[in-house]
Amino acid sequence: MPTTSLKRIAKFRLPSGILGASITEDGLWLVAACMNGVYAVDVADKSALKIGEHRSYASSAAILPTLQTVVTAGYDGTLQWFRKTDHSFIRQTQVHDFWSWDLAVSPDESMIASVTGQYLAGDYKYAPAPEREPSVRIVAADTGEVLHSLTHVPSVQAVAFSPDSQYVAAGNLMGEVRIWNTTSGRQVGSFVTDGFTSWGIVKSHCYLGGIFALRFAANSQHLLLAGMGPMRDPMAGNGRQRWEKWAWNENMPHKLDETHKDESGEGLMETLDIHPDNQRFVMGGRLRGGAWNAAVFDLESGNRLATLKTGFRITEAMFNGDGSRLILAGLKGQPSKKRGGQFPDFGRIEVYDVT
Amino acid sequence: MSTGAASVASFNGLFSIPALADETKRHGKKCILLWLCGAPSQFETWDPKPGTSTGGPFGAISTMLPGIQISQLMPKCATIMDRLAVIRNMKTAPKEHFQAIDALTRGNKPRPPFVRPVLGSVLVEQLGHLDRAIPQFVLLDPCPEGNEFRRFKAGNWAGWLGAEYGPVRAGGEYSIPDIERPEYLSEADYSDREALRLFLSRKFENEQRSEAAASYNAAFERVKGLMSCAPLFDLHNLPEDDRRRYGPGAFAQHALLARNLIENGSTFVMVANGMPWDNHVFQHEMHQMLVPELDNVLFQLIEDLRLRGMLDDTLVIAMGEFGRTPWLNQARGRDHYPKAWSMAMAGAGIKGGSVHGATDELGVDVDDSHVDNRQLFATIFSALGIAPHEEYDLPGLPTFQRVEQDASPVRDLLL
Repeated sequence: MPTTSLKRIAKFRLPSGILGASITEDGLWLVAACMNGVYAVDVADKSALKIGEHRSYASSAAILPTLQTVVTAGYDGTLQWFRKTDHSFIRQTQVHDFWSWDLAVSPDESMIASVTGQYLAGDYKYAPAPEREPSVRIVAADTGEVLHSLTHVPSVQAVAFSPDSQYVAAGNLMGEVRIWNTTSGRQVGSFVTDGFTSWGIVKSHCYLGGIFALRFAANSQHLLLAGMGPMRDPMAGNGRQRWEKWAWNENMPHKLDETHKDESGEGLMETLDIHPDNQRFVMGGRLRGGAWNAAVFDLESGNRLATLKTGFRITEAMFNGDGSRLILAGLKGQPSKKRGGQFPDFGRIEVYDVT
Repeated sequence: MSTGAASVASFNGLFSIPALADETKRHGKKCILLWLCGAPSQFETWDPKPGTSTGGPFGAISTMLPGIQISQLMPKCATIMDRLAVIRNMKTAPKEHFQAIDALTRGNKPRPPFVRPVLGSVLVEQLGHLDRAIPQFVLLDPCPEGNEFRRFKAGNWAGWLGAEYGPVRAGGEYSIPDIERPEYLSEADYSDREALRLFLSRKFENEQRSEAAASYNAAFERVKGLMSCAPLFDLHNLPEDDRRRYGPGAFAQHALLARNLIENGSTFVMVANGMPWDNHVFQHEMHQMLVPELDNVLFQLIEDLRLRGMLDDTLVIAMGEFGRTPWLNQARGRDHYPKAWSMAMAGAGIKGGSVHGATDELGVDVDDSHVDNRQLFATIFSALGIAPHEEYDLPGLPTFQRVEQDASPVRDLLL
């Protein structure tokens, strides 16, 4: 089992809350999707430059190294492309009527997936109504042309490609994961977990929670999911910090592992990344109760290897290309009082050495 | 002078007598309160701030009123703003749910040990018909819990007015049990038993001056009423097309039930669904679902009442106990905010197409014409033809007014 040690080597702020981010292979440059726009961030220099805006929050971002392009998604339902070199705007494509909750780029850089879905009352107990638009769009990374429009049950909150770019998986509010072949657009798998979704008893009758992050393991056959465990009162936000590992590509998909007992506190987990050594993964999010809000786990045994308590909500946890760095991005609460005539910065970035 | 002209003159003369004018104004008035417990966000409903740091992720849309925008989550209400009156500068004191629910359902803060009746009890006492079989005050709330609202629900609603002015609670898991006459009991046997029960309990009530017995008798009277109108409480008896129009959720279905109860003689129906609006976490994930449901319910309800010729006599109120913070907390939520919030009304005595007051650019504070809970209640009472500052006749109690401290109604919202 690998050991892991994390040492913070840098921290700095962005003007607005970071809801999604992506880093370059060397970990020295990142693009941040923020509540007030898109920022290009020089990590070494700790400086940020606003390069664009969505009509609402920018929700996620990705870097396409070969194409030297940055793609962002927003709660305005659009994807936007920028040149990485000079930050100039390339194009915008409206892919959803509602939000883009999350985007992912296929490792071969040919496809971008974006997921959407508005949770609307579908029955007396507030199960989600069927989708009003395709919940998953796969577009060509170089042109924005829609390649596949795939159906799911809203809201679809997380999406990921397999390392071989052969599959795309999307998880929703109700804990359902659907997997499609990216060439044919045919659904090739699905399963449902009850580990992340709550039906409110205390304050109200409705569904909340769901899958907020997912990642394929190196073999493309296993999926990691992250979110928050069930609660009687979903609006308390006090479910257990939770991950699950599933073997999805079998006749009977089944859960292989989950957060180990006594290794989690409370809070919504909303980001996952697998270390380049394919032996570890990091999960991060918000701390509601307990001792950590980011932790590194052994991918094989599921044991927790290292923890961090950052004091801010982590929305993106990313290893750089050789795994020597862990970059965390996120936000504090939005400031209520101005200082020196402006609201203090509340976006957060921290960089850790990984050994 | 023609006969017609003479009639008009004498008719106008009748209205010059204040008491008679008030009585005529209040005749047949009813009220539906859509109780948005937990407190909705004004930014995602009536007072959007698009493009600002506090505006949140949802946009704003234009309404039929020039220059007035509301949240993009409310496209249907945007088309009936000429029937709605929106207050955008509510400013109240209590910051916690229980105290705020108390203040916004009773109209004033507590003055222990005296318990001020809730709005529904006052309206039933003033406008209701206790001699009718159908309950006059109905609370439809399918969620048996509701955090602080649960504690409030367990309390004394009718206060000093007495138990007969309290609500009958129904809806969802609170569908009313045991109100059907058992088959083994004939109609005649049931009547005989009831007459005997009533004779003995009235005798006890009179001889012992027992308030408990009086309350018990009041409850029996209500059960008798319920037995006769039980089908009105059954969602399945509502027209399928109506049920589809209102939407599938429990809140929407019970709003339709409220329309049905009002149409059949209830005076006040309060529709709640636990405390779903208290979104300290998952603010936008919840509001994306709750606000469209509210938008549709308000639209359907107001249009239904209008088409049935009932809107002029029925006041519809949609509000919670306060608003939500302009700034988002770390948990993707908005917290309690009584300093600047919004609510809406339509129907009886209320001037449609009104937007009263405003908040500043970021929605942090209200303008000088702000409205508090007492002024809101004075407005509601005035709209329904009830004197807001009338004193209660309460033997042995201090002097209480319906609305204290001479709080004035918001005149520009009244017809």
